[in-house]
Amino acid sequence: MSYSFTLNGQTVEATTPGLTPLLTVLRDQHGLQGAKLGCGEGRCGSCTVLVDDQPVAACLFPVANVAGRAVRTVEGLAAPGAPLTPVQDALLDHGGVQCGACIPGVVMTLTALLESEPAVDAATAKEALTGNICRCTGYVKIVEAAVAASGRGDQA
Amino acid sequence: MSVIGTSVRRADGDDKVRGAAVYGMDYTEPGALTARVLRSPVPAARIRRLDVTAAAAMPGVRAVVTAADAPGRSGMFFALRDQTLFATDEIRYAGEPVAAVAADTAAQAEAAIAAIELDLETLDAVLDVETALDDGTRLIHPDWESYETLVPGPRRGNLAWEARTERGDVEQAFREAHLVVEDEYRSQRQHQNSIEPHAAVARYENGRYVVHTPTQFPFNVRGRVAQLLGVRPSDVRVVVPTIGGGFGGKLDAMLEPIACVLAQRAGRPVRLLNTRAEELRTCGPRENAVVRLRTAVAADGTILAQDGLIIADNGANSSGETVACANVAPLVLGGSYRIPNARYVSQVVYTNTPPTAAFRGVNAPYCVFAQEMHLDHIARELGVDRRELRMRNLLRAGEPMVNGQQLDDAYLVEAMQTVDRLRPWGELTAASRPLRGHAVVPLTWITNPGPGGAGVKLEEDGTVTVASAAAEIGSGAVATGIRQIVAEQLGVRFEDVNVSPTDTDAAAYDNGAQGSRTTFGMGNAALEAAGKVREQVLDVAAGLLEADPADLELVANAVRVAGVPDRQLDLATVAGTALMTRGPISATGAFVAPPIPFDAGCMTGALFTHFAAATYHAHLAEVEVDPDTGRVTVLRYAVAQDVGRAINPQMIEGQIHGGVVQGIGYALFEDLRLSDDGHVVDESLETYRLPTSLDVPPIDVAILENPCPYGPLGAKGAAEPSIIPVAAVIACAVADAIGTPIRQLPLTPFAVLRALREGRRSRDL
Ligand code: FES
Ligand code: FES
Repeated sequence: MSYSFTLNGQTVEATTPGLTPLLTVLRDQHGLQGAKLGCGEGRCGSCTVLVDDQPVAACLFPVANVAGRAVRTVEGLAAPGAPLTPVQDALLDHGGVQCGACIPGVVMTLTALLESEPAVDAATAKEALTGNICRCTGYVKIVEAAVAASGRGDQA
Repeated sequence: MSVIGTSVRRADGDDKVRGAAVYGMDYTEPGALTARVLRSPVPAARIRRLDVTAAAAMPGVRAVVTAADAPGRSGMFFALRDQTLFATDEIRYAGEPVAAVAADTAAQAEAAIAAIELDLETLDAVLDVETALDDGTRLIHPDWESYETLVPGPRRGNLAWEARTERGDVEQAFREAHLVVEDEYRSQRQHQNSIEPHAAVARYENGRYVVHTPTQFPFNVRGRVAQLLGVRPSDVRVVVPTIGGGFGGKLDAMLEPIACVLAQRAGRPVRLLNTRAEELRTCGPRENAVVRLRTAVAADGTILAQDGLIIADNGANSSGETVACANVAPLVLGGSYRIPNARYVSQVVYTNTPPTAAFRGVNAPYCVFAQEMHLDHIARELGVDRRELRMRNLLRAGEPMVNGQQLDDAYLVEAMQTVDRLRPWGELTAASRPLRGHAVVPLTWITNPGPGGAGVKLEEDGTVTVASAAAEIGSGAVATGIRQIVAEQLGVRFEDVNVSPTDTDAAAYDNGAQGSRTTFGMGNAALEAAGKVREQVLDVAAGLLEADPADLELVANAVRVAGVPDRQLDLATVAGTALMTRGPISATGAFVAPPIPFDAGCMTGALFTHFAAATYHAHLAEVEVDPDTGRVTVLRYAVAQDVGRAINPQMIEGQIHGGVVQGIGYALFEDLRLSDDGHVVDESLETYRLPTSLDVPPIDVAILENPCPYGPLGAKGAAEPSIIPVAAVIACAVADAIGTPIRQLPLTPFAVLRALREGRRSRDL
């Protein structure tokens, strides 16, 4: 089967069985390796991408379900060489990145959160991040970064 | 302005937040084949027949390998060489590799695995660490006597290793004691669960194995691959892409030797990547253990003697660090308190279970849990305040720990006082109420003393490159710490220091990202090399500036005559001149921690004999228990940690947060269970629960600077220790909340409800 959708703003076509996980299509057919295969079972969130601005676990999300919709990945946020987005910038500013394997997923979850919530506090950020496992940071600095990026400036 | 003590951004951060960093799990090579491993379905069996003929003839199959292709015997750190890459005649755990296939596609590799004929005669599985040593129990390694070891160590049959530390007259002290208290504690397996699974891509090139793998310890992987395959270490080259977490789980060779032998046989690159289930089933977790402590105290709570037995599960072989770290248990049990007479026996026992391995803090978290619950028991018997009992027995500067090592810079009192300022014990105790509890725990810990070498060179453009095989595990030690140290030494901007990619061919030996050693050990090596580069720069510049080298300073990427700002040269000019006059400016540095006096005679079977660059800590937790659900909520947490000198405070805070949260998981729910028939129960993240953002309490952090005379700029290790006291302090706080001691980890809701019931029953009696 063939499915057409937009990927980081460009129309693309995926010819593959409809149940193929979106992550496989992104990584193997489009060379977008930002989203990670951390678990493949919908538990870790390292594969998080946005479908019509909503975070989904791409390791489980069937490609058939993105037909006609807009997919955004971490690579689509800031063009190579262009300045980082506020979320990306705040994560580095606050020391929220260690190994970084969870970070593409975290960045997408927080991007969706900040787009839908004008003012994010620590509690909202923590709630939004429950689907993103970070084994390194203990989340504290990621939450601080989320709050800072939303411009409220208050702390956890 | 000095770059030391500033929270510079990590040099690898931009690529990481853009999703551009290439991790081990992302890496592949043109023409790479896909590999799959046939693993044993049972924990103990004799191999009657293994036939790969049909599998090898299947479409797309390029290589099939078995034990015959990997003749060597090895073990982690080469401590005890009881492991073969593939099971030979006998299966020793469910999940043990039996054969491996490389094929054009994953489907072809899987079909070939299914076509391998394996006929097994099952044996009685020895699963219980406590009965494994009983007379008459089947021996898991009947040939144990023939295995080579790095140092002599007592062992026999299913006792893989024993380390002993004994000082003073324990029996006499027990006879004279006011009170003797005895307890037993149990702890579970905890899995590292880095977000990135193990991965390896190998090729065979010009007669050498080249393997790309996200390992924490490239030189160990090199040596282990060589030993398992029966070749020389220099026949193997290990290259490290970005690492997606390790926590000890990526110290040892795992998939690398399998990928290497397949690549050699197939004549093509081979890629092998674990699924999450394979990670949980086969990659060595923190060992489960039993700790028995018996302590003699005086009426005022002074510890007179302690007698301890630690039984740790090695699993089926020593491919993890459990044997190598056996003596860490005595050191940590006797490293924080004055225990004048002590006897610790640390036993590492074979079972037919997946091998256990290093996880951040190695043997310490459960030993500290046992010690601290046990001290609370003593405090209760004596009617002494729990903090007061600890303060009374705490090691002071200049006093010896259990191995006779004098802790000249002990800083435990200061650490305890610091958390007391953050969360005053008196106020917490005064405000105490049912189902709320608090506890405080001190800790002395080691910085890994291992060797490392670095090269530093001045580039023609005046920037600096460090050649190092240290691995950036995520802590920022390479991405910030080493660069900051070198930038400081040479007066260049942080951004103008690069570090070479991690490659065993390109730089000197390095002891790996373990035990918080990278900033400390590699930092020292790089600092020494940079110091020599500095001298060369000054020498060349002195000629050009017609000045005495002693009058020159290195500031802002330039050399200048101190106090004469217009007499200066930028480093690019110096580097360019040097090319014409003396050759390129470059130097090497090397480090291994200096020897420390201790009583070597008090230990046997010890690979770790002392605490180099010891660090001092105190942790405090406040918890609340829900009596209906048994759920524990950590309300607040505080840490005071001695780091020697804080090179990058923000990175250190991140390590403290991360360790505390891993410790909360260990204390409350992480548990890699084994079934009664020897299989890993928790083979997905659905039942192996990891801490989420909602499990994290507010964490107060105080970084203490108590410099180490042989640390780079005074720094000690900072990344590892924050996990160690967490289970102890949370368990003690929960016990305080419910008025009932805790004897087993983790404190799941069921366990807490059980403890609540038992507490009620014993109070009713
Ligand atoms: S890889 Fe998709 S949730 Fe873990
Ligand atoms: S930074 Fe390593 S998992 Fe989040």
